[in-house]
Amino acid sequence: MVSRSEVLSLCRALLRAGRQYPDYNIREYTKRRTLDGFRMNKNLTDPSKVNEAFAEAKAQLMVAERVLKVYLAYPPKTKNIMEVKLQ
Amino acid sequence: MASKVISATIRRTLTNPHGAFSRCRHLSTAAAATAVNYEDESILMKGVRISGRPLYLDMQATTPIDPRVFDAMNDSTIHEYGNPHSRTHMYGWEAENAVEVARIQVAKLIEASPKEIIFMSGATEANNTAVKGVMHFYKDTKKHVITTQTEHKCVLDSCRHLQQEGFEVTYLPVKTDGLVDLEMLKEAIRPDTGLVSIMAVNNEIGVVQPMEEIGRICKEHNVPFHTDAAQAIGKIPVDVKKWNVALMSMSAHKIYGPKGVGALYVRRRPRIRLEPLMNGGGQERGLRSGTGATQQIVGFGAACELAMKEMEYDEKWIKGLQERLLNGIREKLDGVVVNGSMDSRYVGNLNLSFAYVEGESLLMGLKEVAVSSGSACTSASLEPSYVLRALGVDEDMAHTSIRFGIGRFTTKEEIDKAVELTVKQVEKLREMSPLYEMVKEGIDIKNIQWSQH
Repeated sequence: MVSRSEVLSLCRALLRAGRQYPDYNIREYTKRRTLDGFRMNKNLTDPSKVNEAFAEAKAQLMVAERVLKVYLAYPPKTKNIMEVKLQ
Repeated sequence: MASKVISATIRRTLTNPHGAFSRCRHLSTAAAATAVNYEDESILMKGVRISGRPLYLDMQATTPIDPRVFDAMNDSTIHEYGNPHSRTHMYGWEAENAVEVARIQVAKLIEASPKEIIFMSGATEANNTAVKGVMHFYKDTKKHVITTQTEHKCVLDSCRHLQQEGFEVTYLPVKTDGLVDLEMLKEAIRPDTGLVSIMAVNNEIGVVQPMEEIGRICKEHNVPFHTDAAQAIGKIPVDVKKWNVALMSMSAHKIYGPKGVGALYVRRRPRIRLEPLMNGGGQERGLRSGTGATQQIVGFGAACELAMKEMEYDEKWIKGLQERLLNGIREKLDGVVVNGSMDSRYVGNLNLSFAYVEGESLLMGLKEVAVSSGSACTSASLEPSYVLRALGVDEDMAHTSIRFGIGRFTTKEEIDKAVELTVKQVEKLREMSPLYEMVKEGIDIKNIQWSQH
């Protein structure tokens, strides 16, 4: 059974990875999806289900960090209009 | 400025032509036409200057590739490069395994068996194979095809090709809300009808046809039912057994997958027979010869699996955004008409017409939002879309139609910005419009006697 601190640190790691994406839409999506995903599974009590959800989130973290390296290697040439106006 | 960029790139390519990690991209003529001004970072393309990359609201045309799908494709691209049809060595077995895994993923999304999925190069090829293949196979006994007036161009063009070969085609009209009239369908079915082709979700207006009822009618009359579900899979629940379809076309790049791959579902029980469009070595059950694009197919499978997991979550999010968009525009503007039924609709598609506004000028003003208009995707001429004409929309309203496509990655802020830009542009155009002034004064435009000069 995973501990509360492990779950929280996994959530923080996912959010940290998502924040670094150069693409505006993917950045916002990872933040929203991570928080919603953890919130949806907040009330799970069955240990096997909790471990399953934790393992899935960990796999997603590995995917997110791997893909981030590729996305950072090809940065966009133009700024998205949402970022320009937010300045 | 552009010449400096070009010369710098040329210098870089000449000094480091085979560097494994060189990131230079050879400047094509198209790229050279885009001059990025590095001082204020505005973009000048095709004579239009915009301050940044527009926000993407055209999900019906195509979707960005999901990072998780991108990840699934990379490993396969690098290592599984064998031909899946090579039976003698491990490279072929590995690639074949990857294709079979993808086949299972696609089949699970539509509740079919993996043996019934044929991978193709896209929904257009699948539509062509289905329509022409079935009719050519049964050409001795069946001479009639039924389709609707709002189908995708590839289906309509295939039917026109069949007409030239001597088959008869009935193009069913649709009601003003975009749905097919089931009574007309029943009347149109003849003893020599070989195929009924009705798309599940329309790409322009987003209406969802009553698939179960149509399937039931086709089953009663024993006519094969083909549907173009490119816009439907992964977005609305699709069940080939409940819908009673014999053939279904699917496309990967509409569900956050790669472009260049699609699939055709061909039912095995009861068996529907087709003549293949691509002849060759008999791959894919003999219905589509040629080496499958392993990497694209793996991406398609991953996109389908992802869509199955995320369907509910995405639908809830997109529905909220659609309401926000529609309410936001309706609060500030009147004379906004939604084309197509509001009840039986896919939530990610919103096709609006703005009264008393000229279409081309509205589009030119909305350069910071990437949307599609009713007329653009159909032809190069200035004719309004045939789909809107089939709905019975007036010419002037059809010209001002805008299709907003909302997807998984759209944010609330993007919707708010789109609302703001649209409202501003429409108000600006209406202020300049003398027609709108007359309407405000209460004159009925349709009953004006324009004097002849």
